[in-house]
Amino acid sequence: MNGTTLAQKVIARTGGRDHVSIGEIVEVTPDFSYSHDYAAWAIDAFEKMGATRVHNPDRIAVCFDHGIPPNSSKDANSLKRVRDFVRKHNFARFYEGGTGVAHEVMVEQGWVVPGSLSTANDSHATSGGAVGALALAVGETEIGFLWATGKLWFRVPETRRITLTGAFRKGVYAKDLMLQIARELGVLGALYEIMEYRGDGVKQLSVSERFTLCNMATEVGAKGGVFPFDDVTRSFMQGRAKYPYEPVHSDPDAPYCAEMAFDLSQIQPMVALPGREDSGVPISEIEGKDIQQVFIGSCTNARADDLKIAASILRGKKVHPNIRLLVTPASRQAELQALKDGDLEALVEAGATLMPAGCGVCAGTHQGVLADGERCLSTGNRNMPGRMGNKNAEIYLCSPATAAASAITGQITDPRRALQGTL
Amino acid sequence: MAIAAITGTAATFGDHVSADVILPARHSFLDAEGMAANVLMDLSAEANAKVRKHAIIVAGEAFGYGTGRESPSRALRAAGVRAVVAKSFSRLFFRNAMNNGILVVQCPELVNCGVQDGDGIVLDLQVGSIVWKEKTFQFPPVTDVVAKIMAAGNLINYGRQLLASR
Ligand code: SF4
Repeated sequence: MNGTTLAQKVIARTGGRDHVSIGEIVEVTPDFSYSHDYAAWAIDAFEKMGATRVHNPDRIAVCFDHGIPPNSSKDANSLKRVRDFVRKHNFARFYEGGTGVAHEVMVEQGWVVPGSLSTANDSHATSGGAVGALALAVGETEIGFLWATGKLWFRVPETRRITLTGAFRKGVYAKDLMLQIARELGVLGALYEIMEYRGDGVKQLSVSERFTLCNMATEVGAKGGVFPFDDVTRSFMQGRAKYPYEPVHSDPDAPYCAEMAFDLSQIQPMVALPGREDSGVPISEIEGKDIQQVFIGSCTNARADDLKIAASILRGKKVHPNIRLLVTPASRQAELQALKDGDLEALVEAGATLMPAGCGVCAGTHQGVLADGERCLSTGNRNMPGRMGNKNAEIYLCSPATAAASAITGQITDPRRALQGTL
Repeated sequence: MAIAAITGTAATFGDHVSADVILPARHSFLDAEGMAANVLMDLSAEANAKVRKHAIIVAGEAFGYGTGRESPSRALRAAGVRAVVAKSFSRLFFRNAMNNGILVVQCPELVNCGVQDGDGIVLDLQVGSIVWKEKTFQFPPVTDVVAKIMAAGNLINYGRQLLASR
């Protein structure tokens, strides 16, 4: 077997090598890196290393998303420090709070391109695999080290091949597939691996749906997720790419460490039970559970198509009086699109509270914190204790359709009922 | 470059202690002292006291899974933790802990031996050995750039050395 994987090829190129072996540690120069509010620590690291010059600033961007607008003078001062640093060192772009979640913004704005090695100090940096990039997460100190030295180290990962066939039935989405994958793999089931999707089913998936799957690769311990470059990617990248790119594909005889296969038509709406992302069950097992808050937001599921799905269910209906429905678009662009399409109007009319584009309540640092004993149904990616700011609250994960249908009834509800008009 | 062995006592934990439980995001911007006061508090006050007393964590599956924030690692270091031995880790916790000067070793054999809180443990990074009571366990020695980071103490020190030598 002489073939190599996409991950091997990208790491070899950025490491200045002809070939790299799986398991090897290689020092690379990424094509692009980005950061968010936590760039403050990267600056700390940069300064403590005694560095004065940032390497390749024209391939670095920052987007504020976690705590915007800031809650306290302390947070505001920290953001200001990042803004000043970014200007001083001429970073390629700075996106102010309200532009969106950094992962979404960097893909949307064409900074993360097919075949590139892109990195950020956030576990959901894996999202960039949606456009065929090798998108890898690192820590904040490492971003400071990258700015100071131009280099980072990565271990060349194994790749797991996931074959998709068929198409989703009505009311079933990429999120449901991802919760099924997590259920089968467990929270570290794909540890250190790249989850590479292939098969006829892939063609049916939009970049947004691919994003959801790559985003949550980290929830099964993976180093990344990646979709092959195809016509869907090509048309998405049209007029968007910020720099020239060359798509990279795994060879047909590339070494794979594991295989999985899914017939999309067999996937059911899924809900992950509180505590662990791998605790997904078919919705029939949990339907009827009372909830108090519904969150349609996060980098996983709050793009224009997600908001459209939610709006199509909530249009002309009312949010249940016992429910607080919080809607946080993943980006201003998604927000604008949903505004133009009348989807935001439908959501607000139904009783949704609209929050600024960004992370919103996902990380539990900033608004929307739950009370003890409350249950939140979320389109986000994490549900471990304390994730949304209170360890005594419960978080259930689901698709935007399930979230919208449940917001109407006040209980966890199968979205197919809403789509069949039997709600 | 020689890397000194790590000697300390054990603080034991079970499976699936997430990084969000080690230090929730709301405490991310605390100073070292504040982080040490809050580390593992979401699990229990006893867990917090334990890591502040014992420098070597011995844990089960998936230690530090979840968030890629570095603050959980910084908080453990601030509490005095020098090493974590577990059955498995998330990759980002592995990176962040090593970069903050905490040795991370996968060794299910040791974890399965029934290590108790307060037991003495010695970790030798260069040889790749763990000594607990009369038993010795092996792990792959730390190599390459990772060894340089551990020898320097943490990634910041390594970066400083690297820049000074240019
Ligand atoms: S939306 Fe949530 S998961 Fe995504 S980057 Fe923000 S805090 Fe992290």
